[in-house]
Amino acid sequence: MTIELLVFYVFAALLAFAGLRVITARNPVHAALFLVLAFFTAAAIWMLLRAEFLAIALVLVYVGAVMVLFLFVVMMLDINLDRLREGFWRYLPLGAAVGVLVVFEMALVVVAKYYASGTLPMPADPGPGYSNTKALGRLLYTDYVYPFELAAVLLLVAIVAAIALTMRRRKDTKYQDPARQAAVKRRDRVRLVSMPAEKKE
Amino acid sequence: MNELVATLAGYSSAWFGPQWGPPVWVFVKTLVLILVITLPLFGCVAYLTLAERKIIGYMQVRIGPNRVGPAGLLQPIADAVKLMFKELIIPAGANKFLFVLAPMLTLMPALAAWAVIPFGPEVVLADVDAGLLYVMAITSMGVYGVIIAGWASNSTMGFALVCVLLVSQSLNLSDIVNGQARGRFAAEGLNFLSWNWLPLLPMFLVYFISAVAETNRAPFDVAEGESEIVAGFHVEYSGMTFAVFFLGEYANMILVSALATIMFLGGWLPPIDAPLLNAIPGFFWLVLKIGFLLFCFLWFRATFPRYRYDQIMRLGWKVFIPLTIVWLVLVAAWMQTPWNPWQ
Amino acid sequence: MLENYFPVLMFIAVGLVLGGVLLAVGRILAPHKPDPKKLSPYECGFEAFEDARMKFDVRYYLVAILFILFDLEIAFLFPWAVVIPDIGFFGYAAMMVFLAILVVGFVYEWKKGALEWE
Repeated sequence: MTIELLVFYVFAALLAFAGLRVITARNPVHAALFLVLAFFTAAAIWMLLRAEFLAIALVLVYVGAVMVLFLFVVMMLDINLDRLREGFWRYLPLGAAVGVLVVFEMALVVVAKYYASGTLPMPADPGPGYSNTKALGRLLYTDYVYPFELAAVLLLVAIVAAIALTMRRRKDTKYQDPARQAAVKRRDRVRLVSMPAEKKE
Repeated sequence: MNELVATLAGYSSAWFGPQWGPPVWVFVKTLVLILVITLPLFGCVAYLTLAERKIIGYMQVRIGPNRVGPAGLLQPIADAVKLMFKELIIPAGANKFLFVLAPMLTLMPALAAWAVIPFGPEVVLADVDAGLLYVMAITSMGVYGVIIAGWASNSTMGFALVCVLLVSQSLNLSDIVNGQARGRFAAEGLNFLSWNWLPLLPMFLVYFISAVAETNRAPFDVAEGESEIVAGFHVEYSGMTFAVFFLGEYANMILVSALATIMFLGGWLPPIDAPLLNAIPGFFWLVLKIGFLLFCFLWFRATFPRYRYDQIMRLGWKVFIPLTIVWLVLVAAWMQTPWNPWQ
Repeated sequence: MLENYFPVLMFIAVGLVLGGVLLAVGRILAPHKPDPKKLSPYECGFEAFEDARMKFDVRYYLVAILFILFDLEIAFLFPWAVVIPDIGFFGYAAMMVFLAILVVGFVYEWKKGALEWE
């Protein structure tokens, strides 16, 4: 057994464990943190497949940004665990059906690949001077430019949707505009009035 | 030196057999190299705290710590020993696991990012192609420690770094430094005018200011302002849990200074291409530049009043992000023209 | 390529272990005498009257979305920046369109007031 294979099995085991804990952990914050671990180990496995850029981008985007949002949502929702558990048995048949379907689909893909072309070979080490990021960049912005622009449109939809769903103007807050504060002139605030002195009775 | 290394490698093959010997040797060698980086880094953190107290002291016409050892030089060691013997208190309401995990998650990225930092030509632990991307990814995990104030700054740092990438066309940190040794001024021996800080001056300033915010340092330290909210969440961390947080934050400060040095100030390159200056090892120049940036960190703390939360948000989202996007487009457009200075 | 990443993996592991070792040192050397008053949440002389884990304002959610957006944008910009001489004007224009679409979203968020903090 080579070192690489050993590393793969360690990470694969960690990934399976983390994935299981995501759905079995009672504390939602723990579940989210196990998801972080799952992403991290998945990135390590991608790295073993020589997908250098994608592996690091997975950590950068999912661990560094998306999971922060997840944790926020988990904290924001103030989840009542007892209420959530009540529905467990009611939703179990539906959930199990979807689960079986997913397993079936995955099996279809994996088994077909496995029998069609034998086990997929490990990508060879590309050798020094090769840059995975550059190879990706050369393709992404030329041959795959439509999916790339489509990604931008998707992100735009996500922003607009997020604003439409969560944006609430609060009426009761006070707000300072420093530009207006600095631009204030004396005559806007102070009025000098000349009054005749009053006589003492 | 090479003989010693070869002998040691031979021993490991002799002890563990030809199959397991080389991997074990690589493991031990890497472990030793990692400790050679981290342990001096801990020392730097310790003396950075002393430097901070001394420098801010002098800026405020005080002397700073001067009781422990000559001129207070043993103060950080005394502090470390004190923290070691302080009781660890985990508040009753806190989740024990998360409470202990948080400081570890702050320290880990601040250390692990050093794996790809070049200390000189060819002197780097892991010479990976996507070095800069790795540093971005691993430091982005720092948001779990303390949240939000660093958000906008994280994005602006990203955009500023993309500008550096545009001109150097490599994610490898050593290549980025070597790229700065070329250019019109470098040909005349004036290296320091060819470094990225001059052609990308706005990005350098944006990067450094964002780095100050990212590391929760004054004047952007809303999350842990010492004078207002008694250092925020640090209140509930005592003894070594506090020390680990503290180590992580100061190691992060040194890390972002090192990155700024590599991206914008020419890393280990001497400022002027003269035989006398070239004779000095590159490591010295690197440390000198990092030291200067760290001094700026302390200087800011002594000089500027703290920003309010909404002011930080406005600065990040409404000033820096538009500025960096516009500058990015400009640099990219500039590179499309024949007057490209980075050819 | 992979042998370059081995030290990185080890560094991450050592980073975690060092943190753990430091905490363990504190646990071993320091006294450990908890009592209810000592373990109560830190407040200025009164009993804590609400759970410290308060709910977040929904506005943070919007900022988080924006943060993800820019993070993704940076992930797309990185490979683009390193290959710009190879992909020529077409690649440059592709990224400009990408940026323009996202700037529309940014301007929308700005004009809607999602970036205002009172």
